[in-house]
Amino acid sequence: MMEKIELSIVVLVLIGIIVSSGTMYYMTTVVDNLSTLTDDVSTLTESVTNLTSTISDLALIMSEGFQEYAEAIAALTARLAAIEAGLATKETLIVGTTDSVEKTLDPAQAYDYFGWCILQQIGGTLVSVEPGSPKGSDFIPDLAVNWSSNDDLDIWDFNLREGVTFSDGTEFNATHVKYSFDRAIALIPSIPEGAPAGLGYDAIIDRTEVLDTYKVRFHLKMSFSPFLGILASRSSTIVNPQYAPIAQINHTTADPRASTPVAFAGPYVLSKWNRVAGRDVEIKLDANPNYWDLASGYPRMAHVIFRFYSDAATLRLAIEAGDIDMAYRHTSPTDVLDLEDNPNVKVWWGTGAAIQYFCFQTKRAPFNDTRVRVAVTAALNRTAVCDTVFLGLSDPLYSIIPPGMLGHTEAFQKLGDANYTLTTSLLAAAGYDATNKLVFDLWYESSGHYPMSAEQALMYKEALEGSGVITVTLKSADWAGYKQNRDSEIMDAYIYGWYPDYVDPDNYAFLYWAKWIHTNYYNETINGLPNPSYPAYLQQVALYDEARATTNITLREELYAQIDEIAVEQCSVVPLWVGSGWAVTTPPIYGVFLDITQDMRYWLIYK
Amino acid sequence: MGLRSYIITRILLTIPTLLLLLSMVFLIMRVLPGDPVALHFEKKATPEQMESMRRALGLDTPLWTQYIEYLGGLVDIGYILEHGYPNLGKSMQTFEEVGGQIFSAFPATLELAFYSMIIASVIGILLGVISSKSYNSILDHLIRGVGTVTYAVPIFFLGIVFQLIFGVYLRWLPTGLRINPAVDPPATITGLYTIDSLLQGNLFKFFESLKALLLPSLTLGIILSGIFIRMTRTNMLETLRLDFVTAAKARGLKESTVTYGYALRNAFLPILTMMGLQFAILLGGAILTETTFSWPGLGRYIVDRINFRDYTAIQGAVVVFGLFVTLVSLVVDILYAYLDPRIRL
Repeated sequence: MMEKIELSIVVLVLIGIIVSSGTMYYMTTVVDNLSTLTDDVSTLTESVTNLTSTISDLALIMSEGFQEYAEAIAALTARLAAIEAGLATKETLIVGTTDSVEKTLDPAQAYDYFGWCILQQIGGTLVSVEPGSPKGSDFIPDLAVNWSSNDDLDIWDFNLREGVTFSDGTEFNATHVKYSFDRAIALIPSIPEGAPAGLGYDAIIDRTEVLDTYKVRFHLKMSFSPFLGILASRSSTIVNPQYAPIAQINHTTADPRASTPVAFAGPYVLSKWNRVAGRDVEIKLDANPNYWDLASGYPRMAHVIFRFYSDAATLRLAIEAGDIDMAYRHTSPTDVLDLEDNPNVKVWWGTGAAIQYFCFQTKRAPFNDTRVRVAVTAALNRTAVCDTVFLGLSDPLYSIIPPGMLGHTEAFQKLGDANYTLTTSLLAAAGYDATNKLVFDLWYESSGHYPMSAEQALMYKEALEGSGVITVTLKSADWAGYKQNRDSEIMDAYIYGWYPDYVDPDNYAFLYWAKWIHTNYYNETINGLPNPSYPAYLQQVALYDEARATTNITLREELYAQIDEIAVEQCSVVPLWVGSGWAVTTPPIYGVFLDITQDMRYWLIYK
Repeated sequence: MGLRSYIITRILLTIPTLLLLLSMVFLIMRVLPGDPVALHFEKKATPEQMESMRRALGLDTPLWTQYIEYLGGLVDIGYILEHGYPNLGKSMQTFEEVGGQIFSAFPATLELAFYSMIIASVIGILLGVISSKSYNSILDHLIRGVGTVTYAVPIFFLGIVFQLIFGVYLRWLPTGLRINPAVDPPATITGLYTIDSLLQGNLFKFFESLKALLLPSLTLGIILSGIFIRMTRTNMLETLRLDFVTAAKARGLKESTVTYGYALRNAFLPILTMMGLQFAILLGGAILTETTFSWPGLGRYIVDRINFRDYTAIQGAVVVFGLFVTLVSLVVDILYAYLDPRIRL
């Protein structure tokens, strides 16, 4: 029994040992496995952590990379823009000016210098004045290749250039010429101050006839020798009917289309016209890809950018600082003489065509007496004004027609400058002397519409009072007040200016009796009494009309000289001075022409 | 009076102020010699055409009718909702909407005014504090001298001096305009070139517009800083003598903490009021600065329009200037009332 029990115990122990060993082995294996699993989990966790860290690092690196990349891109963009701007300057002309387009770039209305200047760059006319023409009377083909007129000068034929397109690709032909002039004349009643009205298109042109696709004929109402001059003016720019409705002014500053390119047929297209508060701040011209004269290399510069400065002083600083390539209109005489000594800039000189003149109110005393007008004229000292006020940059003018132009004379030299002997004798005859002086108001414009007006007026006063028999009171008004005073005829004597619409004596001689100057010299009666000057006026008009009707240069010169002779006797309007033209550039700039036309042909300019 | 009542009262007070300003400008413009109709014509106009233009400009009716019509336009809510600005009439020369013209020029003036005010405040307050801290020393006298000179020097003179030095001789900065003439301005979003170029991510144009802005805003800022220098100095001197400053120093606080954290904070209230008042002078100064630097803003616009007797344009610009100054004064007054409850009592 005992043996069985011992055997059973041994067996149980053996079984226990075996089971325990097995269990132990199993448990060890499980623990091992668990340990391995834990290790694996740990490794996995570590891997995940590493991965997270790697991802985080990667994200950081990427973020930094992107930031660096973005910075690099921005820097690159900035450099590219700078390089682009640098490259652009090589083919871009930057022009600074104090001008601004007044209202519109529509040739049926535009009548201001800068509006016409832009029109000349973007538009084409039938003929144009040859750059550098001394008298402004050498006409060269533009959209017309040749022309002729009859002996009476009232029928003019033009053969047009073939293969010309407007900048939008529309093919140019004779119908466009007829359309342009018909439209300009049709718009005159609604735009009395537009250029076609000012130049008298309706009084000159009877009708325009299309003879064939490339031939056009103008029938004029009168014999008119300066017709080519009118055709070369900006108001004769040929318009594209798609952009210029027959009964509506297009391309005004209030028109949203103003900032979009308009299709003319000139060397440039207007690619940008930005105005702020009714004033230009940026104008950009790009070369017209369809310009008819591209083969000759025009326009020379791909772009012209206009920047607008508030006054002459800031314009001068801008050209000196090199901010702009060219300063044109207006740097002051003092500044431009200073700039002549500056080696970093070049001053270009040219002939002037802008004039100023003295006007007398002839409808009342004292200037209803011709003797008094002549006496005052004789006491004026033009030379002193030109030398002192304009530092020699303007010249004394003794005819209303400026020097260099057909018909110019020195007629007013007859009365002299500061010729006090003549002044005192004439005034004595009119009842004035040192004890009973001639007293009158001299008015000048004070807001800068004309150059150096106050200084001029002071010099005139000094010269007149130097006679000892005249007392002058200076009065001034800004342009708005000045025009109102002129129209209401309250000014005894006043200074006015003229800038030509076309370069021909025809556009100057009429100033002696122009009604809008309000001298009343041209009236048949004054205050119900016969005007003693009226016969002289009629004689001048007859001579003027005769000069219009002939191409005989000698005869025209004689006729204008006779007009001047009568003007000296009457002294209703007295020429004072003619200015010079100048432009300032930063070298190297070439191709600047400053001739009597006062046109700046930007398509000829290059660096 | 509670803060809300104070604000409402101040807002209501701005209405008669603006009305008075508008009425004065309306009358003065029409008393001046010069006819806007005549400026449209030079040679060929007939009396009928002149009369027709007078009718078109609304100048053929009695003055009081014109006045009432103008006021009626200003409060036309429908127009405001449609255009985003009040009906200020049409320009008598260009026939464009005056509101549109003014708001196209206003961002340039605002940008100039904003940067100028920052420059004026920083220079003025900093030098004022330094001056008060160095009371009666050479530095104090020097800064006081600078304050007097900058207050007295004409804007155009300082502007030209800067243009000559930094533009002509050193060629570091452009002499005028809102951006380098060779660079296209950024596309308009706000009309402020620095902001617009940043919004478009164009750093090149940003720096170019900042360069163009530097001389005009520095000129205007320096001129305005004179009054800030004097104002800050005086107020700081008074504040630095007060007990709480001595107490703060006694507690061992850092000098800079006492000066800027305690004293300047207390001295700042009158300076804040001065900032509001200076805004009107700043806008007036902007007219001269804009002319000197060919800056196409509202100041130049007014000068241009006066020469053309453009009644509506001048009225509109003055109203906008007046409104702007009034708004700034209002904000300053409200801030003052908020910071110093005694004002509301």
